[in-house]
Amino acid sequence: MFRLLEESGFTKVRSAVVPGFRFRKESTRNSAEAYGVKAVLMTGIKPGG
Amino acid sequence: MTDPAADQAPLEAVLKDEILRMYQEVADHPEGEFHFYHGREAAEQFGYRPEWLDAAPAGAVRSFAGVGNPHERSQLRPGETVLDLGSGAGLDAIIAAAQVGPTGRVIGVDLNPSMCQKAEAHAAAAGGRMECHQGAMERIPVPDASVDCVISNGVINLSFRKRKVIEELFRVLKPGGRISITDIVSAKQLSQSIVNDPKLWAS
Repeated sequence: MFRLLEESGFTKVRSAVVPGFRFRKESTRNSAEAYGVKAVLMTGIKPGG
Repeated sequence: MTDPAADQAPLEAVLKDEILRMYQEVADHPEGEFHFYHGREAAEQFGYRPEWLDAAPAGAVRSFAGVGNPHERSQLRPGETVLDLGSGAGLDAIIAAAQVGPTGRVIGVDLNPSMCQKAEAHAAAAGGRMECHQGAMERIPVPDASVDCVISNGVINLSFRKRKVIEELFRVLKPGGRISITDIVSAKQLSQSIVNDPKLWAS
């Protein structure tokens, strides 16, 4: 998604991992870990203004 | 040659139904158990201020199903126009409304019309104001260059057409406008079995 933001024209794109995020169910949590799933906070600016 | 978008259309429709069903379930039965943490427990985990949660109607807090805290970096100012993409039961819109104040404007967009009604009712009960438009994130029902800031919480990952969603964010923002969105990303391509499972995709 970071790349999509930049390709769409956003500038100053930043992302940070959300430290407290995890899935409740163990089975989902295990799958998520296997796929490197994480929650992130992303910011960016539309140029101009 | 087949059109990939057309090939995916039936699956996308099924997934949309499942997403609507799951988040309606969170709103109607917040005491239930879901794949994700929700409600006050989740919001506090992500650093939502207790005063924000205390000021919001209990129904909005109980139904919170976000994955982070978009307010951490939104830097909303009085008088600004904010779009909450996937506004759900309205907690993030209510918090935004308090920050932009009576001269500002908060627009929610949600696929589910009954969630829109719920969010507007919650915002009114909180003493704030939001208008919620029923619509898809791939075709946001908001004019070009009309928004100062877009917030969103755990929604864009649900779309099959993320590039289109991001282009829509860019379109609705004023020049100099900004996004502060929290969402789920994965380092690896999800297997087709996960993509094809509406329940896993929606969670």
